[in-house]
Amino acid sequence: MRDILWIVQNTLRVTFRKKKNILLYLFMPLIGIFIALMAYGGDQKMILHVGVVNQDKAEITADTIQFLAGLENVKITELEAGQVQEEIVSGKLDSVITFEKGYSDSVLAGRPDHIQLTSIKGAQVTGFVKSYLYQYIDNISTISRAADGNQQTFQQMYQDYQQSSFQLSTHSLADTSRNKNMTTQTIGFLIMIMLISASNLSEIILLEKEKRTYFRLLSTPINARKYLLANVLVNMLVMTVQVAVTLTIMKSVFHIGLNMSYWEAAVVMLLFSMIAVGLSLVLISFSKSRSAANALQNLIITPTVMLSGCFWPVEVMPTTLQKIANFLPQRWTLDTLTKLQEGHAFSELSLNLLILFAFAAAFFLIAVYKFSRNKTTENFV
Amino acid sequence: MNVLEIKNVTKKFADFIAVDNMSLAVAEGEIFGFLGANGAGKSTTINMIAGLLRCNDGIISILGKNSAKHSRFAKMNLGMVPQDLAIYEDMTAYENVKFFAGLYGLRGAELHDLVVEALEFVGLQDKHKSYPNSFSGGMKRRLNIACAIAHRPKLIIMDEPTVGIDPQSRNYILNSVKKLNEMGCTIIYTSHYMEEVEEICSRIAIIDHGKIIAEGTKEQLKSLITNTKDLWIEVKSSENLNIQAIKEIPGVEAVSIEEYFIKINSDTGVNNLNKIIEHLINNGIEIRGLQEKAPNLETVFLTLTGRNLRDQ
Ligand SMILES: Nc1ncnc2c1ncn2[C@@H]1O[C@H](COP(=O)(O)OP(=O)(O)OP(=O)(O)O)[C@@H](O)[C@H]1O
Ligand SMILES: [Mg+2]
Repeated sequence: MRDILWIVQNTLRVTFRKKKNILLYLFMPLIGIFIALMAYGGDQKMILHVGVVNQDKAEITADTIQFLAGLENVKITELEAGQVQEEIVSGKLDSVITFEKGYSDSVLAGRPDHIQLTSIKGAQVTGFVKSYLYQYIDNISTISRAADGNQQTFQQMYQDYQQSSFQLSTHSLADTSRNKNMTTQTIGFLIMIMLISASNLSEIILLEKEKRTYFRLLSTPINARKYLLANVLVNMLVMTVQVAVTLTIMKSVFHIGLNMSYWEAAVVMLLFSMIAVGLSLVLISFSKSRSAANALQNLIITPTVMLSGCFWPVEVMPTTLQKIANFLPQRWTLDTLTKLQEGHAFSELSLNLLILFAFAAAFFLIAVYKFSRNKTTENFV
Repeated sequence: MNVLEIKNVTKKFADFIAVDNMSLAVAEGEIFGFLGANGAGKSTTINMIAGLLRCNDGIISILGKNSAKHSRFAKMNLGMVPQDLAIYEDMTAYENVKFFAGLYGLRGAELHDLVVEALEFVGLQDKHKSYPNSFSGGMKRRLNIACAIAHRPKLIIMDEPTVGIDPQSRNYILNSVKKLNEMGCTIIYTSHYMEEVEEICSRIAIIDHGKIIAEGTKEQLKSLITNTKDLWIEVKSSENLNIQAIKEIPGVEAVSIEEYFIKINSDTGVNNLNKIIEHLINNGIEIRGLQEKAPNLETVFLTLTGRNLRDQ
């Protein structure tokens, strides 16, 4: 272990002696915060553009739409069913809500139905509209059930509720959604930087093979296994610092609310850092030279980062691409974070966490298998 | 005790046999030379000793212990100077030596002292803060050596430590090899340069096609060919020379050409000088001088392997 730490220490010292590396490994992750601030920051509140298609001309429906319009930072555009596609394509809308015929009756009957909500700019954004809307509908249903068919009682309760609910108008909505957007944007960028960092740091292995120092090291008491472990440790350390620095600066300097606990976010990101090391080792193990590794990294990292929603919400992409994204670890990482933001507890997310673990384990196994095969063909003990 | 013992060691790369059933023992305090042409199998043998390659067959023991079974023990007692430079360009000379020595478990003041000593030993103490990219080829080679000796190994393996460097650095290196040996290190030394091996090695193995074809002190090796002599003929131009035809002259054992000299190794029992001169004259080659030499290792090598030590 002492000799492994000796290598780790030396690698870190040599790496961070170069200004270029300090920039890449420590400052680049913060750029995500600035991008997020530019995209969502500033004083102006974010306005959600919601398209509404009303096919159910009834009082309850009209009131529901009124309620939506009353939400601060939500702008309603009434649409005909035929216009929806066109409006979505033009990109002016964040979300479309369709009240189908029978909506009002179903609410009155206590079993809300015939309502469709399509998110266009990402579930995180419209999640709020959705939760407020559903809560509203639920309340009306409850009132209806409480009135138990008595028209007058219902009207009375309904009126009272309408009045109070408008007052309770939700100023925090836009703020939280803005925070969540900034968090997602920052972490999406951090994910990309972590992947790039991991592949750069793992590339040291190939560099040492090309420069022959690797074989020199193997003639000392260091063996190939210890050497690999040292590299993994360097990777993990650098990425842990990246995660800690990014989350801390986000929270304490820019006061961007994570909408989840710092530690939960950190744990998920550290899980992702294991995936990043595993993946970078796989790419290295399949490359004969650094240039081959670079080509492979470009081929894999950038497209998967884009596909998995690190730069923009996956919901804007065609469904086929969304399905592909489900096979990407970055997607699952973001998904876990989104679920935490939505208020799920860590314990409810065991499937997500398990999948992240499985990605890391699979990558490590492939890399180790490939490395040991390389070793027998080259015959280095 | 033997510091190194190789018993019936064979190494194959796919179908190609690089080292063929080799056996050899190096005693404590020796400077043992490996002499062989390109591709003879010197580096392969050395890489197996250093634990970088696994042998297909046979046993290698270092300080009496099987090196495959006690690889940590073997490596702790070994210092390797590889044929290809293995130093870090982004670390200073001092850091390079310190890093390698630290891998043997040395730390703190002890480590610092040993590093400084190793740098002094190879004459780089003034350059300890410099990066290797500002070094000449010879200085890099010397740093390569310092990295291998700082931890005071019992056995030092040097794979062509003087290849491609200036004469000054070369002398420095040869002297430090001798000094290391006087300090008690056993050394295995590989080279293409006959003069070096002849100057510093106490025993020499001539390797060809993965086999040891002769082994002993230089006197023992020379005595293998006392029944031959060397004839050096200086000519104006060796362009029209037909080496094969000269080899067919009775008594001629080996022929080589070095610039304006035709070097002929010939049986002392056969008087063939007339025939050789006649052949040259008939082919229009102008003779400028003629001298007879006592055999040296180069001749031994040429006679035993039929090859020149270096590609020409
Ligand atoms: N990894 C390998 N795979 C296949 N063949 C190899 C490998 N390493 C060495 N060889 C072959 O084994 C033979 C011996 O090589 P080796 O490097 O031991 O020679 P050498 O005596 O050190 O030569 P040189 O003086 O050029 O360094 C050569 O023919 C070489 O091509
Ligand atoms: Mg060699």
